[in-house]
Amino acid sequence: MKFRLIYPKWKKLEGQTTFNLPPHGPVVMAAAIPPEITVEFIDENVDAHEINDNCDFVGISMMLTTQIKRGWEIGDAYRKLGKKVIYGGISTMLHAEETLPHADSVFLGEAEGKLEKVFDDFKKGKLQNIYNYMTDFPPIESVGPARREILKRELYYHKGVQMVDLFHASRGCRFKCYPCAVAYLGGRQFRPRPIDRVVEELATIDNNRLFVVDNSLAQDTQWEKDLFKAMIPMKKKWCCHPIEDKPEVLDLAAQAGAWFVYQAVFDTSDYIKERVKRYHDYGIGVEGTILFGLDDQTEDDIKKLIDFLLEINLDLAEFTILTPFPHTKCWDDLIKQDRIFDKDWNNYNAGKAVYKPKHMTPERLQELYQYAWDTFYKDESQTQKMFKLFRSVISRELADGTYRGRREDLAGKSFGKKIVHN
Amino acid sequence: MVSDKIPSPYIDEVYEFQGLWGIRSLCGLKAIQRGAKCIIIVTELYDTNPGTTVTNWSAQLAGELMQKYNTNPENLIFIEHTPDRKSKLEVYDETFDRVSYTWKDGKFTDPKWQRLSKQEVDKLIT
Repeated sequence: MKFRLIYPKWKKLEGQTTFNLPPHGPVVMAAAIPPEITVEFIDENVDAHEINDNCDFVGISMMLTTQIKRGWEIGDAYRKLGKKVIYGGISTMLHAEETLPHADSVFLGEAEGKLEKVFDDFKKGKLQNIYNYMTDFPPIESVGPARREILKRELYYHKGVQMVDLFHASRGCRFKCYPCAVAYLGGRQFRPRPIDRVVEELATIDNNRLFVVDNSLAQDTQWEKDLFKAMIPMKKKWCCHPIEDKPEVLDLAAQAGAWFVYQAVFDTSDYIKERVKRYHDYGIGVEGTILFGLDDQTEDDIKKLIDFLLEINLDLAEFTILTPFPHTKCWDDLIKQDRIFDKDWNNYNAGKAVYKPKHMTPERLQELYQYAWDTFYKDESQTQKMFKLFRSVISRELADGTYRGRREDLAGKSFGKKIVHN
Repeated sequence: MVSDKIPSPYIDEVYEFQGLWGIRSLCGLKAIQRGAKCIIIVTELYDTNPGTTVTNWSAQLAGELMQKYNTNPENLIFIEHTPDRKSKLEVYDETFDRVSYTWKDGKFTDPKWQRLSKQEVDKLIT
């Protein structure tokens, strides 16, 4: 039986460097599919996708809100061909009710230990409309290595350089941040994977560079330290969301290969300045993530924040506009205040104002967002700054003997497509 | 569901409900009878609510509580409350919103929220 698993494409943000990373959700889900099922994976962002009936069952895995309209289009097309279509993934969970009309089945929750029943039901012609495992989390020990062999690896190279692989060491999050839906998706309980299972998975990844996609590793100091200690011998280099900035944690993280971390910069305080400095003191780069549009922010605050970013020596900065994703407090607040004016999910890409900000017009917020990108990267472009960060990881790899040169056979291609020089 | 009138002088408890997709959910519940009016204030419990927010389940929750306290759409005053989170972010300040709905086919739909001050809420319940 052939299961075609599709990852819908989405429109990338204008003016930003596009990197197509090997998706994580589909490979984690695929690991839970019974082994006798043949999985054909199509990532529409890099791969040609011909909608045809050369499969038995279709799965659509959606991570982003900006993917869902395309996901629905794909589902509708396959259903017209008479194929059964099941949807899963975190944005399916955020938009489940709207997805139902485009689906034979919707899977809500985490897949481990649950997909045998789904495929069994499919074979018997008894596929359920909804598989609701929203709060029925699998034992975290049961989360094994993702099934990355379904990826067409050569499509995730740019000029011969392999993109980072995505990897997770925990699920759930004890924090409940204003714009974030993770509490709804994965629960408020932090669920760290056992270290030996993490190491087992890391050993299967044929890539020295990783993106640890956990929402925050800074949730359990002892586990965090144990994780980094166990990672040291593997000599991987990785970026991640926040880690604790205690000296003993940073020291272990640096030894374990921390390359750079994403750090939210929400004000111009010494706290942020010192935190960035502490990361740098341990040789860990910092990419600032800056959110514009909270009700506290005036135009003046945004401009001051941009000036501050230039003072604190961030290696990179990524700007986003507050986006009210369903199942967040942000959504609840803005819906209550009738401030959301755009409900086209294609625009929920964190680069467009879809709501009325408190202290300015949406158009002005959009201008300030663009001003932030232009100002931060005025003297040194995003590509130049990325290259500096890239050079830093190469130096470390050369020092510990893990450096792999680029693949010359893919040097003329970018994500599977031939590079055309004008 | 057993229907009860609101006992005197008022109800003040943590209320458990089944939210979206049947998820166990919790909110604070204050209910008070003022003449024919049944005033219900549901509080979002950020840290202890494992499930759906009161805003996300507003119409269903209002319908459930209306039935529980044996009142009718005309006499229900339904208020959503978010407590002060002692945050420096304004979005975590205390808020009260009175919610009005369309009553159709025996169900509330189409919630609309109107911000109330604490004083306005006090006036309603005293």
